[in-house]
Amino acid sequence: MGHAEKARDFIMDRDRTAWHDRALWFVRQKRDLAARSVPEWERLRESAARIKSHTLEHLAHYLELFEKNAIENGIEVYWASSAREHNLIVSSILEEEGATKVVKSKSMLTEECALNPWLESKGVEVTDTDLGERIVQLADDRPSHIVLPAIHLKKEDVSEIFARHLGTEPYNSDPKYLTRAARSHLRNKFLEADAAITGVNFALAEEGGIVVCTNEGNADLGSSLPNLHIACMGLEKVIPSKKELGVFTRLLARSATGQAITAYTSHFMKPAPGHRLCVVIVDNGRSALLASKHSSLLRCIRCGACMNTCPVYRRSGGHSYGTVVPGPIGSALAGARDMESHASLPSACTLCASCDNVCPVKIDLHRRINEEREESIEMDSFAAKRRILKIASFFMRHPVLYRFSLKATRVMLGILPKSIVYNRYNVWGRDRQMPIPAKKSFSDIYRSMR
Amino acid sequence: MSTKEAILSALGKVSPPQFGPPSIEYETIRFSDPVGVFRSSLEAAGGETVDVEGDLEEIVRSSFFHSGEMIDTISGCVTEMPETPSLTILKAQLGVAENGAVWIDPADRYPRELLTLSESLAIILSKKTIVHNMHEAYEKISFENLSYGLFMSGPSKTADIEQALVIGAHGAIRLKVFLVE
Repeated sequence: MGHAEKARDFIMDRDRTAWHDRALWFVRQKRDLAARSVPEWERLRESAARIKSHTLEHLAHYLELFEKNAIENGIEVYWASSAREHNLIVSSILEEEGATKVVKSKSMLTEECALNPWLESKGVEVTDTDLGERIVQLADDRPSHIVLPAIHLKKEDVSEIFARHLGTEPYNSDPKYLTRAARSHLRNKFLEADAAITGVNFALAEEGGIVVCTNEGNADLGSSLPNLHIACMGLEKVIPSKKELGVFTRLLARSATGQAITAYTSHFMKPAPGHRLCVVIVDNGRSALLASKHSSLLRCIRCGACMNTCPVYRRSGGHSYGTVVPGPIGSALAGARDMESHASLPSACTLCASCDNVCPVKIDLHRRINEEREESIEMDSFAAKRRILKIASFFMRHPVLYRFSLKATRVMLGILPKSIVYNRYNVWGRDRQMPIPAKKSFSDIYRSMR
Repeated sequence: MSTKEAILSALGKVSPPQFGPPSIEYETIRFSDPVGVFRSSLEAAGGETVDVEGDLEEIVRSSFFHSGEMIDTISGCVTEMPETPSLTILKAQLGVAENGAVWIDPADRYPRELLTLSESLAIILSKKTIVHNMHEAYEKISFENLSYGLFMSGPSKTADIEQALVIGAHGAIRLKVFLVE
């Protein structure tokens, strides 16, 4: 099923689509206000792009430096070339510690690796502790946005989910009431946990530590109670040193939610005495992406700004992409990795380039998507369209035939009954009226006036 | 070949870069009244500032309407984690005007979880330590011997339910910064 088909159910509910569109535009507007409060904003974006490019160019060097310094700090470093290897590493560390209850803070990488189902199959209870992620986990749903995982749900939906799973008052959909209920429910999970899993926003090569940004404080609370903290990072997360953090911490939250900084920007440099801090560095297709023409996608710091501004994402919802990361960056990443399975995604784009303009690391998103669109036409799912285009090109190469067929279409459109014109093969007649054919074609008029 | 070697060789050259990362060679934001900007930034982040004149403990108690036990991490070390910490006093080493964040390094004075388990945080900050922006903050902070440190900007919060901001997600519900000279 392609993007358009998956978006259909979402779009059917017009009010909800309009509400979703407005909610995300509101976040985009907050981002604009935050960006305008920084006079050097554009230069910061330029710096961020250049720092990321520099690091990616010398990635092997910075990763080795990170590993060396992290080990010196008492951090254990593991390497995984695939999602499977990552999952095996995580489950074996948990097994060593006999950990069966895990609290997890948000990590797109573990979603990408499908870590939760893997751990659950090993008998480990995994609790997502980010409120949005917990909501979708309880509902057996999936996140639809990387920063706002439950943006597709209304508070009435959350109220229903919580009433069913947490025993809150039915029909009480006050966000504060629901958040407090989640707080006390999750507080117990935190206190019971024997391990914490977090993502990584930035890894510092020079200092050998990791930085995790949250608003809720779940990464901090989760990692400080149990003896084991496993942090999972894609290998593109490394930056040279703390000096560069000045640039990224100023850009990240402003781009994501319009806040000046996240409530918690936490630097884990050494394990607490008697605790273990393990960092898993994951490739899973990233080195191949780096070698491809789409390598700029690896600059992404996962702020979600491209989603909030995207006219297609706002109206089709995150689930329509069928990928862990949706929106412009998600489309581009999915297409660069596996075009065959995601051939419809490059077309889920108006090429308006609004994403390029908000991206804090200046990824040329619309260009990536446009190039992928050219590649996507070669995929199997476009076989029928390619055949039609071949026929069209035959007509275009034969002017007499072309003019005749145009004329025939004009005449037929005028006389054929509606039931034949609006058939199920004519997608141009779906949800819209076919144009009323003109009596004379442009070339007829042109010739008569010459 | 180990996984690490395989990944590194897929990434290409391991030699150190000839030039360092690009540096910031332009003016970054500065304010004529950094303390005033810090106040409004912290307010925007859901926190509050209180000016300290007179007895610190008295001011902290009265500003939280708190009569129970206060956990004091300034005059001594906290070695044992109290059952239900409600109010904790701690010191921040630095404040950032542009975003209302304070730098907290618990070192060995108190356990890390005290920062998130406490319902209310009373953070003592010297006005002199307030810097303009994050670049300056990172320049000032030393990571030598740092085990865990964080920038905290206001109390814990979330807007995951219909974009409605709710203060008090998992960490502190109230956060006040007490400004001293």
